[in-house]
Amino acid sequence: MKIKNYIVTFVSAIALLLSTSAISFAKVVGDKIILGAAVSLTGKYSSNGVHTQNGYNMAVERINSMGGVKVGGKTYKFDIIYYDDESNPKRAAQLAERLISQDKVEFMLGPYSSGLTKAMAPVTEKYGVPMVEANGASRSLFTKGYKYLFAVLAPANLYLDVAIRTAVELNGGKGVKIAQAFEQDAFSQDVRLGILDAAKETGSEIIIDDKLPKELNDMAATLAKVKVAKPDVLVVSGHTKGALTAIRQIAEMKVDVPMLAMTHCDAAKLSKQHGKNSQYALCASQWHKTLTYKDKWFKDGMTYDADFTKMFGYAPPYQAAESSAALLVFKDAFERANSFDQKKVRDALAATDMQTFYGNIKFAPGGQNVSKPMVLFQVICDSSGKCENKVVAPLKWASAKLIHPIPKWSER
Amino acid sequence: MINKNLIIYLSILIFGLAAPFVFPAFKVQLSILCVLIILSITWNIQGGEMGYNSFGNILFYGLGMYLCASVQVGMFFPLAEWTESGGEKTFVHTPAQFFQGFGVGLAVAAIVPTIVAGLIGYSILGLRGHYFAICTLGLGVAAGEISGGIEIIGAGQGFTTPPFPNIGGLEARGEFFYFCSFITLVLTFLAVKSIYSTRFKLVLNAIRDNEDKAEAMGIQTMKYKIIGWMISAFFCGLAGGIMGGLVGYIDSTDVAFDGREMGVFMVLMAILGGKGTLWGPVIGATLFHIFKEGFWTFFLGWQYVALGVLIVVIVIYFPEGIMGWLREKYPERFGEVIDEADRKAQVELK
Repeated sequence: MKIKNYIVTFVSAIALLLSTSAISFAKVVGDKIILGAAVSLTGKYSSNGVHTQNGYNMAVERINSMGGVKVGGKTYKFDIIYYDDESNPKRAAQLAERLISQDKVEFMLGPYSSGLTKAMAPVTEKYGVPMVEANGASRSLFTKGYKYLFAVLAPANLYLDVAIRTAVELNGGKGVKIAQAFEQDAFSQDVRLGILDAAKETGSEIIIDDKLPKELNDMAATLAKVKVAKPDVLVVSGHTKGALTAIRQIAEMKVDVPMLAMTHCDAAKLSKQHGKNSQYALCASQWHKTLTYKDKWFKDGMTYDADFTKMFGYAPPYQAAESSAALLVFKDAFERANSFDQKKVRDALAATDMQTFYGNIKFAPGGQNVSKPMVLFQVICDSSGKCENKVVAPLKWASAKLIHPIPKWSER
Repeated sequence: MINKNLIIYLSILIFGLAAPFVFPAFKVQLSILCVLIILSITWNIQGGEMGYNSFGNILFYGLGMYLCASVQVGMFFPLAEWTESGGEKTFVHTPAQFFQGFGVGLAVAAIVPTIVAGLIGYSILGLRGHYFAICTLGLGVAAGEISGGIEIIGAGQGFTTPPFPNIGGLEARGEFFYFCSFITLVLTFLAVKSIYSTRFKLVLNAIRDNEDKAEAMGIQTMKYKIIGWMISAFFCGLAGGIMGGLVGYIDSTDVAFDGREMGVFMVLMAILGGKGTLWGPVIGATLFHIFKEGFWTFFLGWQYVALGVLIVVIVIYFPEGIMGWLREKYPERFGEVIDEADRKAQVELK
């Protein structure tokens, strides 16, 4: 009985304590500019959420150690308050509200994934809190007329557009047969729309159009259809899990398809996890370390790659790079606005026109970054079995030649 | 005794009405608390009073959410263009349109799930025990997958609900949704309380204790089970409609038919507080929400471990919930009289 009493008292005491103690931060405390961020540390996007967080942290550390942000003749340092949104939009919207009304944060960084960004944007917009996001690519984010939302990445419908056009080109300009499978979420569905547009323009035919569940770990049904229908291109998009599942089952079922286009290959560390099985997969990426963009803080892609690997023990996927770029954009905007007034910072963000190691950044009126093209890389393995991602399109950046069509499993 | 109860009710009411002004920064959490309490009170009608462990109430909640938002948009603008994947045109509701739409939406969000409960209840409530639980579990999952494929409500893209009109300053939105949820909570509580004071509750209890005997006594158990479920559906639908507006973005499996979180939480809260009691779900939901919010803030990364520990503690130390535990400890406060002489006599007999 006694123990129970203690437990009850203890629990209620903690509960009371927690419910009454509102910690308050302000936008700028002393020499710190406090940014708010809700990222997915648990749930289905947890691996990508960690890439996002690492990207943010790396940039914060770098900017702070290189002199911080100069506003009004004073030097400030960045600091970020994190919450875990559990990969859940309901939670994300709630946390946005909480960051703004309880923690009094006046500037926000985006969460991971389009769905969560869609849930947070109405809140930040309502309070006029500028949000620079690096991981919400859904086109619909940029058609809502949001004024305080800025995305450093290219919209989702452009992700695999290049792949289809390349396939058509290799087919002598004639339309191709496309099989596609997309996860039921805002981002992947937008990638799908991009494919539909590209198919229409190139006269291609979509012969399989499947939807995949959110907790994705089996797509054998789609692949069985692909085996029979023999499309020219197979497109799969479903975040990290989608990429891993596709490669695993394509290898298991020995599905032969001339072109395999996907998203999230580098976040899934495909070439490392599946080795030779992932060979020839074509992946859409916002960034690749071999691109020749440059900036003052991270120098270039190769240096970023090396520094990141040293700090976190794995090679940075583009999700980390774009997240780091978001901080650079904020720093630049604060300095140009020379103020912490939200409106002024917002206007400065809208006028951003800069080059970072990650690419050029310039925002369209809708908030999306229009001056950075997507790249496609292909997983290419050497004879020793070591696999690497090589950029194959667009040609300007290409470091290897596209291997097409993919050799049959029986000939590998 | 009546006076004492009245004081308790009045002070809760006053606290509820004053809360958003006393704790302005916590409006969203308080609104969510109201929704959680509604869900756990209504779950208790099945799980606590009737002995039917339903995991399917999330179906009505999600339905209400989608219906309310769809009506709110569809009354004034073409719904297909609002959500159409990628097209997603932006229309702006005038304040009058917003509130009219929301009001009508809420009405639809309450009525349609009630009808659905009546229809599916007729077949599903024929199942008992584990079979019923598993079947209802499937309902929520299926609804999530199906709604994720319906283009007109946004499918996998999700559904952005109309933004709150630009009136009354920054606080207006929070206050509006708080009072919506608080008023719905009060209505739910009063409705359930008055139902519990009638023969209806005794019938539900009879079904829980022995359904066959209840039937043998001439009670049409099926009728009562369906009515009970319809009552739950009515308030779950309302709660869903409000929550949709509050969150501002509806996703099929993560926000609307969120069986993994809301669907489980409503059961957990009712059990924590004490199922089969009127106040149990209220207390359970309140403690649970405070506990959860606290751990989310101060022990980031450990919140699920804490949740697991909480469940273990509930199951081991409070199997009857907090109300059940209190009742065991202070039976006289619950109007139970123990005749010590009689008890001693019985012990001696053994």
